Amino acid sequence: MNKLSENLLDKFSMDFLRNQVLKNAYGNDDTVIAGLDPRVLIAWYLFFGVVPWFVQDLPFLLGCFLLVMVTTLLARVAGLVLFLFAVGVFSQTGYLFLATLLFGGDASAVAPLLVLTLKVATISLASVTVFSGLDPDRLSNGLMWYGCPERLSFSISYAYRMLPMLMEEFQNVLLSYRLRGNPPAHDTLLGKVRYLIYQVRIVVESFYPLMLNTAKRSRTTVEALELRGYRYAAADKAVKKIRLSALKVTWNDLLFLALSALWTALAALCAALL
Amino acid sequence: MNAVEIDSLTYTYPGASQPTLNGISLRIEQGDFLAVVGNNGCGKSTLCKVLNGLIPHFITGQFEGAVRVEGQDTLESDVGALARKVGYVYQDFENQIVRPTVLDDASYACLNYALPDYRERGREALRQCGLEGREEEYVWQLSGGQTHLLALAGAVSLRPDVLILDEPIAQLDPMHADRIYEVLRALNEEQGKTIIVIEHHTEYIADYCKHVLLMKDGQVQWLLPTREALQRVEELEACNIFPPQVTQAAHRLRAMGVLPAGAPLPTTVEEGKRAFAALKLHPQGAAPAAERAGETAVSLKQVSLSYRSVKGEPRTIFDGLDLDIRRGERVALIGSNGAGKSTLMKLMVGLLKPKSGTVSLFGANIGEKRAEDLSRQISLVYQNPEEMFIKDSVRADIAYAMQVRGVPDWETRTDALLERFRLTGLQDRDGRLLSGGQMRRGSLAIGVALEPGILLLDEPTANLDIATRREILGVLEDMQDLIQTAVIATHDMQLVCQWAQRIIVLCGGKVVADGSRDEIFARPELAGQVGIRPPEIFTMARALNPDARCYTIDAFTRCFGEA
Amino acid sequence: MRTIQKTSATQSQKLMIFVLSMSLYGLATLFTELIPKFQVGLVEFSVEFFLFIPLTLAMLFDPLSAALGAATGELVFSEIMLGQFGGLGELEKFLTVTIGVYLAGRLVKDPRNRTMVGLAAITGTAAQLFMGMVVDVVKVQLAVEDFEAVEGLPESVFATEGFAFLNDLLFSGILFCLLPTLYLVPRLYGKIEPLLGMAPRTAESPVAGLSPKILAGCAVAFLCAVAAELAATAGMSLIDWEAEWAESGTALAIGMVCAAALAVAALLVIRKNSERNVAC
Repeated sequence: MNKLSENLLDKFSMDFLRNQVLKNAYGNDDTVIAGLDPRVLIAWYLFFGVVPWFVQDLPFLLGCFLLVMVTTLLARVAGLVLFLFAVGVFSQTGYLFLATLLFGGDASAVAPLLVLTLKVATISLASVTVFSGLDPDRLSNGLMWYGCPERLSFSISYAYRMLPMLMEEFQNVLLSYRLRGNPPAHDTLLGKVRYLIYQVRIVVESFYPLMLNTAKRSRTTVEALELRGYRYAAADKAVKKIRLSALKVTWNDLLFLALSALWTALAALCAALL
Repeated sequence: MNAVEIDSLTYTYPGASQPTLNGISLRIEQGDFLAVVGNNGCGKSTLCKVLNGLIPHFITGQFEGAVRVEGQDTLESDVGALARKVGYVYQDFENQIVRPTVLDDASYACLNYALPDYRERGREALRQCGLEGREEEYVWQLSGGQTHLLALAGAVSLRPDVLILDEPIAQLDPMHADRIYEVLRALNEEQGKTIIVIEHHTEYIADYCKHVLLMKDGQVQWLLPTREALQRVEELEACNIFPPQVTQAAHRLRAMGVLPAGAPLPTTVEEGKRAFAALKLHPQGAAPAAERAGETAVSLKQVSLSYRSVKGEPRTIFDGLDLDIRRGERVALIGSNGAGKSTLMKLMVGLLKPKSGTVSLFGANIGEKRAEDLSRQISLVYQNPEEMFIKDSVRADIAYAMQVRGVPDWETRTDALLERFRLTGLQDRDGRLLSGGQMRRGSLAIGVALEPGILLLDEPTANLDIATRREILGVLEDMQDLIQTAVIATHDMQLVCQWAQRIIVLCGGKVVADGSRDEIFARPELAGQVGIRPPEIFTMARALNPDARCYTIDAFTRCFGEA
Repeated sequence: MRTIQKTSATQSQKLMIFVLSMSLYGLATLFTELIPKFQVGLVEFSVEFFLFIPLTLAMLFDPLSAALGAATGELVFSEIMLGQFGGLGELEKFLTVTIGVYLAGRLVKDPRNRTMVGLAAITGTAAQLFMGMVVDVVKVQLAVEDFEAVEGLPESVFATEGFAFLNDLLFSGILFCLLPTLYLVPRLYGKIEPLLGMAPRTAESPVAGLSPKILAGCAVAFLCAVAAELAATAGMSLIDWEAEWAESGTALAIGMVCAAALAVAALLVIRKNSERNVAC
């Protein structure tokens, strides 16, 4: 039993996390979804991320849900993201359900909750498809085309660049604590509580070295960005044009949109007939 | 024409009381390959940041005098315009890379300056820097040396006339270091670029640079052709710069009267062959072979380990590795970047768990021990000392492990350690704000605080200048009574030769050689295979006489010094 | 001989703070994303476990850059990287975090004054939590169409929201925002600034202090957050899908299906042709 829990913890390590995030970003760049034009996908997302909120029709919602489920599968999203999605959706409705019962609601409260679940799930999966399925650079180019501030799209690609390094640094600082620290024994319940408090304290304290080390890094980064013309690019319309000229809507994109439209229309038809 | 002209430049950082650069006047010719040398903190990096306009446009402060790069006054220009004239590669180059894929990063600057052919320029720069065929790779797939080449390519892509590199080979093994310098030489000779390097590996200066600029206390001492510059042994040593070992040896032999008084000193092995041609080898008694007694301290049996990769199959680091380290040994672990040295150390302290096989410590499997208990038996000092500092003062860091374990009289022991590592005066400063050498001493003190039986050091001399490296070597010698068994992973062959009793050569996750220094360095085929290189003085002695085994300058002068 | 001297916080220094705040807070929120959330429907026990990071940075440096950096970091690292992007909901989070952190940073005149730091930390946290609560309540009312009709639902929402706010403020606010900030600010003061090439903040620094203008600016930003949600909801419900279908829904839906099917077929043919052209 002890062995098992240790194994689980081992699996859920920083290393694993880093790997999953990178895998999610770059490991699936050869899928159908990743090959689509980011602008088309974002437009697609705007539909499936917003419309389900305002529709109460069960068949229609079910249709949308099935569609985004298929696209998520096509995007070959990393396991961790799907897991988070599942936990998120479950905890949202599960808790709401209990709270409603507790405050004197009855079966009539359950139906709207089910609809709500379907809405939440559809919207999350649509965002998972777009934001996990696209590689971050294409995503940020797409966002830029829609007029998002340049700093956001820079932040996205920079974040992916920095994440592996930051995590390694954080991991090393935590390992320093693990090697040199002396956590309380956690056999009894009281010990477990103390152990938890100890862990939390360590994580908080480890941000002291992490902040200083990251500060050192970001100074070089920002100086290098200056040398490499980042600030000039932000002010120069020509750069945006050059960057966006790489985007191209292909027949595949249109086909994807048309298929989605067909499926949605079918769902609407069902909704109308039933 | 001059690439750089500086007239009476004085610069003070904001908030500093003393100027960092003080009355500098300087001319650097176009097409020069210049090495800037000097003590730590003599203003080398500051001078380079003046050239690309970061000072005073980006880093404020008090700036007097005039700096012209390619005829352009830096005060009247902006960083963007200057960046196309001057390329800069930082010492911590990995922070300079901001894009996830190789080609993207190489062409990033060109894109930002709205050059329509940015992709072609990026490709061309990658070709020039020897990264052809890696355009689509992600930056974290590159090795340290390749990352450095990528940072260089990012600078080259703007086609600047001047390239500045701050300590380009500090973290690289000799093979990667050679590649960087070969690329620089090609850029210099074929493209006519002016190249400025801050460098303290004088062997590389002798081989590649045309001129040397010595700086001291924010002032220029002199700028001389390389051969002439390296002759000035005393002046250089006064600034903690150590000329190539061949030059140092010749200097000593000249002082001993073995070489004629006026003779020019050789700076490379080739020159040494001529200069030392008349000398005869007087074999010294071989050093007594170290006895390999003692129980097994660390034992790896059939250890396999692989890292998860972003795409495809996991990357295998070790496959069935067997290794024993006995109590009392001083082991050097060598091999090229990425051979698995750091991974092996992490396995030994239990930070990584093997996929299969066992790692045991004094006969007990470490998988069954708690990490916190292990630390009394084995301790690891990271390559990057900053990550060892987790508290807000050196004192607190050294005391931490003893304090939380309730070691009796931990306070007096902390005092003793501070004294021993000469940190008493610095004990309240934050570790990461100290100088390179002080930081290393601090991390070593932290590593030995619990008096572990086994001490593992990952690259203890990386990023240090030669003088500080000597100092750390002294500290290591001094620690012998504290630590029974020590393992060092390093590229620093002088350290290996002077300190280690046993050398283990790793290549591709396998032990390809294991033995004393004589056994290892007598096999030249190993050098080609794994990218290690014996110290220059060893090569020099072997070039004179294949039977020579001289690992230090002392040994060399002893062997060849008698008339 | 020419002399130039600049001392003001430059654009680049602001970028440095932005990058620092973004990477650190982003990394931290990536972990919080993995901690299962205690959620009661749309009512979230929204503990920002790591809010102390931007709070600390906002007190030591330029508050606005730190605040915007933190909000962007959360958006990019935890929402976009993990595919948890919630559309409009993220705008609200973005703005409330920015306002809370910014207010706290402006409140501190001298980072060496511990009382001031503590007060600012808890005020900033409270502001962020309160705004989050208001938006949450509004959101639930709109999302569940017959909100008032479902028996027990309004009460449950108000009760859980109020409880969540108090719990967050008194428990996690003190534990995760106040105490860590008090621990970190004095320790980092004077150490982290030189690393970024800046002078430490003193009482004379122009970045501190609250003026009516700033408060008004924050209020406007908050109204934007609420308004964005309301406007989107109201605007969309005008389209009123159901009503339309009720009248001639079937015919319209059949039309849509036919049109879409035709489009799919046409596109398939065109793609085939273009592929052949490329091949030739």
